[in-house]
Amino acid sequence: MYRGAQIITEPVGREGDLMILNWGVQHPASGPMRIKVWLDGETIVKVENDPGYVTRNLEKLLEYRTWENAVVNIERICFIDDLGTLVNWALAVEKLAEVEVPKNVQYFRVILAEVGRIVSHLIGIGSMFGALGVATPMMWVLSLREYYLDFLEHYSGYRISTASIVPGGLKYAPTKEDFELLKKAIEETERRWPEYKELFRDNPTLVERYKGVGVIPKELVYEMGLRGPVARASGVDYDVRKRYPYSSYEDFDFNVVTKEDGDAYSRFLVVLEEVEESVKILKQALEGMPEGDKWKVRMPKKIKAGEVYSAVEWARGAVEYFVVSDGGTGPYRVKISAPSFMNIWVLEKIAPGHKLADLATIFASLYICHGDLDR
Amino acid sequence: MDWGLILFKTLVFPGLTFLLLVIFTTFYLERKLVADMHGRTGPYYVGPYGIFQTVADIFKILQKEVIIHREADKFLFLLVPAVAFLMVALVAAFIPYDENLWIVSTDFDLVISLALLTSLPAIFLFAGWVSRSKYPFIGGIRVINQLISGEIPLWLAGLSVALWYGTFNYVEIVQKFDIIGFFVNLVGFAIFLVAILIVADRPPFDIPEAEQEIVYGFLTEYTGVGYLLLAGAKFLEVFVLAAMTVTLFLGGFKGPFLPGWVWFFIKIFFVYYLAFAIRASTPRIRLDQLIRLTWKILVPLSLLNIAVILILKAI
Repeated sequence: MYRGAQIITEPVGREGDLMILNWGVQHPASGPMRIKVWLDGETIVKVENDPGYVTRNLEKLLEYRTWENAVVNIERICFIDDLGTLVNWALAVEKLAEVEVPKNVQYFRVILAEVGRIVSHLIGIGSMFGALGVATPMMWVLSLREYYLDFLEHYSGYRISTASIVPGGLKYAPTKEDFELLKKAIEETERRWPEYKELFRDNPTLVERYKGVGVIPKELVYEMGLRGPVARASGVDYDVRKRYPYSSYEDFDFNVVTKEDGDAYSRFLVVLEEVEESVKILKQALEGMPEGDKWKVRMPKKIKAGEVYSAVEWARGAVEYFVVSDGGTGPYRVKISAPSFMNIWVLEKIAPGHKLADLATIFASLYICHGDLDR
Repeated sequence: MDWGLILFKTLVFPGLTFLLLVIFTTFYLERKLVADMHGRTGPYYVGPYGIFQTVADIFKILQKEVIIHREADKFLFLLVPAVAFLMVALVAAFIPYDENLWIVSTDFDLVISLALLTSLPAIFLFAGWVSRSKYPFIGGIRVINQLISGEIPLWLAGLSVALWYGTFNYVEIVQKFDIIGFFVNLVGFAIFLVAILIVADRPPFDIPEAEQEIVYGFLTEYTGVGYLLLAGAKFLEVFVLAAMTVTLFLGGFKGPFLPGWVWFFIKIFFVYYLAFAIRASTPRIRLDQLIRLTWKILVPLSLLNIAVILILKAI
């Protein structure tokens, strides 16, 4: 199915009575990817994805990095939630080197990963409204997101792409002010969230546009290997945090949000409600933060030959690495499997039959990040 | 007849210059008020409170190169924006800003205004057609679909007012306006409000120019002056429709203490504010949902409204 960044040679215009519409690359809602749409009037007959416009060859670049400074490449899988990918890199390398990190580091990694999830989900909620041409929710969630970005900025010096989690621990020791800023962000979220939730979830026009659109049956989730909120909205109860707990996730009490309908509205609800679960985890992590001053353990410069698989639940679903070491100072080969790339292909199956206007809503509800679509 | 006065009215106030000022002001107001609802500041740096931001933007657009698609019909492509602007500006001539402040006043004000507004979908379809491009073409087809379904409620609701007051003349309608007339026409007012949002492509009915679906609809290929005229025509259309609403349903320039034109603009601002609030809070609906709304709810309701008004008139 995937043909990479192909050169467009075939004639694009009409095919019989059908109009071929290039929905992207230069399009307000497509992002840097092309979706070729065969249209019969306003009805979609066929859809073909054509990603590959932001390929950066991350997997190859990683081969020229050392184990530690590979983080600056690994976090660029997707800039919106970089922290989940960093956690996974740290886990994979530590597993390979057989190093155990202290409990307080694990807890702080959970905090960072959940902050990343909240930051990403807030943008996701905003852009699902954005696909319907109303910008108010986006502006509101962005103003809430600022509180979390302030925390990240104070902690690491960067608002996005923090490069703050390295194999063997954390790059910086968190200070008291960091925790204060995080508490402030959580307070602000809890103050605003009831209003946001009511306004977003019960918006009648949104329900009208999203409900029953782009239904993904449960079988299709298994067949296509869909992940994350997209899979959970179809009733598949899969969350790496619960199934294969990592970084002390087993200590926390949270629910895996699932919905049964599998339509775009369920996907929206899953993303909306996962923010609450993340806030719940954040509060527990802040309360139960173990004592300890050691934020980084010693890592060997060279790691013995071997291979390792590691997966974490990232904002968009399970992100998996397969890392091979030949005993050098850096990875010999890294294979990354990211959720957006798995999820995008379902568009070809569910979009036909819908109106052109629904393409924007289905695409937004699939919660794609173009960074991890291409890597 | 004083030709000097007529020329002044046509070209300066309440004619062309004034209409340009209206476009500037409404655009600025829209940006500022919607920004407020978003929790943003809006235009800020150019002039006090950013009031010259719109002027700066318009001059920026004017400097843009006029790009014409290779396969586009050059003559029609350039002609369409001017015609669209002219058609809307003609409707503005009938608006009574005050008892004696209008350019034209005939016995058929309402019918002529509605007829001129009905010409717009055809012009916009042409704009999409002569662009010879896919997105404008889809946008043009959507305009036709949307406006045919939107204009029938608009006509019916507008004509119900004329039925009640027994005249098509705007000034007479305003003079005959009273509190009973307001309540009788309340249903018509609601229908008219929805219909003007549909006809003027305002959110949540901005389907012909839905950015996330078809880029910018029939405006996609336009740049520079052509874009400015088309966009200006659309802004003016909103103003004209809001002015019609005020005149027909809210008593136009009528009001105590203050001069008539002040009342007129206060009421216009009310209609505008409503449109902005709806824009900031309501996602766009789909074309088939819109057609269902108009033909199954609005059209029967407006027919019923006319029947009720006829009965009330007989009593």
